[in-house]
Amino acid sequence: MPERRTGPDATPHLRERMAAGRAVEPSPAATTPRGTTGATVDTTAGGSSGGSGLSLRMLLTAGMIVSAVLPVAVYGGIVLAAGLSADSKLMVPLLIAAVVAGSLLGLLAAALAVAGLTTRLRLITAAVERVAAGESSPPIHLTGDDELARLAESHNRVAAEAGRRNRELGALLGAIAGYNPADGLAVLTARAESDACAIYGLIDCRLRLADPATVPIEETIPGDPRPVRAAVRAGTETLGLVTGHLPATRAWERADQDLLDLFASEIGVALRNAELFGQIEDQNVRLLELDAAKDEFLRGVSHNLQTPLTSIRAYVDQLRAASDEAARDRRLGIVAEQADRLTRLVRQLLTVTRLEAGALRPEVEVIAVVPRVRRAWEALNASGVGFELRDEGGGWLAVADPDQLDQVLWALLDNAVKYGGREGKVEVTVHVDDTVKRIYVTIADHGPGVSEADSERLFTRFARGAGQASGDGTGLGLYVSRELLRTIGGALWLEPAREGRGAAFTVSLPGEPPGDES
Amino acid sequence: MIEPRPQRILLVDDDSNLLVVLSDQLRDDGYEVATARDGGEALRRLEAGWPDLILLDLMMPRVDGLALARQIKAEADLPIIVLSAIDTADSKARLLDEVAEDYVSKPYHYPELRARIQRVLRRLGDRIPRQSLVLGPNLTLDLHRRAATVGGREVALTPTESRLLHALAANLGDIVATETLLARGWADTEEAEPSYVWVSMRRLRQKIEVDPDRPVHLLTVRGSGYRLVASPEDA
Repeated sequence: MPERRTGPDATPHLRERMAAGRAVEPSPAATTPRGTTGATVDTTAGGSSGGSGLSLRMLLTAGMIVSAVLPVAVYGGIVLAAGLSADSKLMVPLLIAAVVAGSLLGLLAAALAVAGLTTRLRLITAAVERVAAGESSPPIHLTGDDELARLAESHNRVAAEAGRRNRELGALLGAIAGYNPADGLAVLTARAESDACAIYGLIDCRLRLADPATVPIEETIPGDPRPVRAAVRAGTETLGLVTGHLPATRAWERADQDLLDLFASEIGVALRNAELFGQIEDQNVRLLELDAAKDEFLRGVSHNLQTPLTSIRAYVDQLRAASDEAARDRRLGIVAEQADRLTRLVRQLLTVTRLEAGALRPEVEVIAVVPRVRRAWEALNASGVGFELRDEGGGWLAVADPDQLDQVLWALLDNAVKYGGREGKVEVTVHVDDTVKRIYVTIADHGPGVSEADSERLFTRFARGAGQASGDGTGLGLYVSRELLRTIGGALWLEPAREGRGAAFTVSLPGEPPGDES
Repeated sequence: MIEPRPQRILLVDDDSNLLVVLSDQLRDDGYEVATARDGGEALRRLEAGWPDLILLDLMMPRVDGLALARQIKAEADLPIIVLSAIDTADSKARLLDEVAEDYVSKPYHYPELRARIQRVLRRLGDRIPRQSLVLGPNLTLDLHRRAATVGGREVALTPTESRLLHALAANLGDIVATETLLARGWADTEEAEPSYVWVSMRRLRQKIEVDPDRPVHLLTVRGSGYRLVASPEDA
């Protein structure tokens, strides 16, 4: 298993490598196969000292033997000769001559050996320096199999791997530059997988958006494809995991793992960008929807405010001309009713701004609900719509802000009339649950009801019943009602659909038993 | 036989259309009505004689309604009803608690306004201290700011609770009939029933008694009504 870098310092480290990688774009020379421009040194050019088959050690050994043994041998010979001649006068000059000659011979041998060595060392040094400076280095060809030749060989291998990693880095940067956050997660994932295979020469590659801890680490079995993996990160957050397999013959070193980590972290950033891009796009869509809802709302408000004003205006004009007492009364009634409607709408708009500012201060008092429902119904003046009020409240009183409760009842009854069909009947039931001390007011119509999909949306701002044109309301009634009730410990919900009736909404309020104690 | 003196109302509003219509409506109901179009005019009218009630708009040029109400209250405990388009949730309306007996929002329904006027006028003659009313070690009422201090802790009172306590405090120690409390707590148009009083008293006891099950200040008089008593006793 290759070592995995996991520390938080991995990324800056990789960034440095990447920066270095950018500076060292692989040159064409690095990609050319070895041999064309290679600095080839024929060892014979180094002189006789570098004879083929003679290693560096042998050369040095031979030199040392020559320079050390030769004078001794010469000296020994002289001593023997002197002994034979017994002429000791000749001894000293002969001895000196032998030492000098031996030394000269030794020096010559050493100089020859060093001359060959220097040429080859200079070549290797130059190549190593080039690689150290971050340049690509053509392979050095040293014939022979001495230490220097092996050093050159090893240098060539290092240089080739550096070249390969440079190429991988270049391919990696090229791939990353092509990632567009607008492509979306799925496309990016597929591209990242195929790019990883191409760049690192993997047999297969998989990118998972899962916690790396949940994916077991594969064992490396010699002879089998080697598993590799890297965590996909964006900043400090782990997004997922890249896994894959290398051909069994491929080496995998720390630097290779670093490169894979680099790729994985770049993928992480690209995925995060894609995610953010998606979120922004979603928000844009929502903003557009809200904008459209706002326009619709303003049209609705304008319509709702202008309609009563129009009829008030028209009826007042008619009143001036009317002489018949009964007709005048009827028209006056309509003027008053339309004026009330306007007032309620303005109040509803005010309530919305108050709700948003959190500035509502309800004053809860005890109130009987049934008379308030009846009055709210009368205020609507929904002629032609049937009304049935069942009082099962047992005289319980609700604890609520009277003005707010009026607003809620009016909005719900107005909806029941609006969506219940002109011929429909509105049924209101008031009942009590004394175990939890609550009063419930259920307002049901006989319209088409509310679809499951609409049931929660209805309580949001500007929401309208399905198929309703903007002129039919401000789209605020249910939203305002629910929020108002919330401020006084009440609630509002839509009852499940039931055969034989349309939409049914229930208001729940804290209640008090009437209990006489005086 | 002495004809009862008609009750006088001073109507202060900068909308002259409203002054005309509303004073006609009030006169039809037997009230004597004076009008003023701004604070300065209202103060001049007050110099000529005090009305029984002032109906006041909040938003007026020059001296605004709130400043005028404060000025009036500083001189005498004249009942004031605010009639304004600013709704009760407005922060400005909140300030009215200290100066106004009641609040009616514009556009008003005349029958409702009349019912509120009648309710406020019923309390004429009630005299309770403008400042704190100490009823015992554990109860102090500050009705002018709709609050009570119960065992060292301040609790807010609703407008209705405050009106009920006002009626009880004006007859401290004496029985106040349930019907009287009903008339003082609610306007006629609210169609209140005796159960309103019962439930409100129960809730009030939860608020102002240290032990609501053993009340020492707000006592029930079976069959007739309620009594508010000062009690030195530690609950």
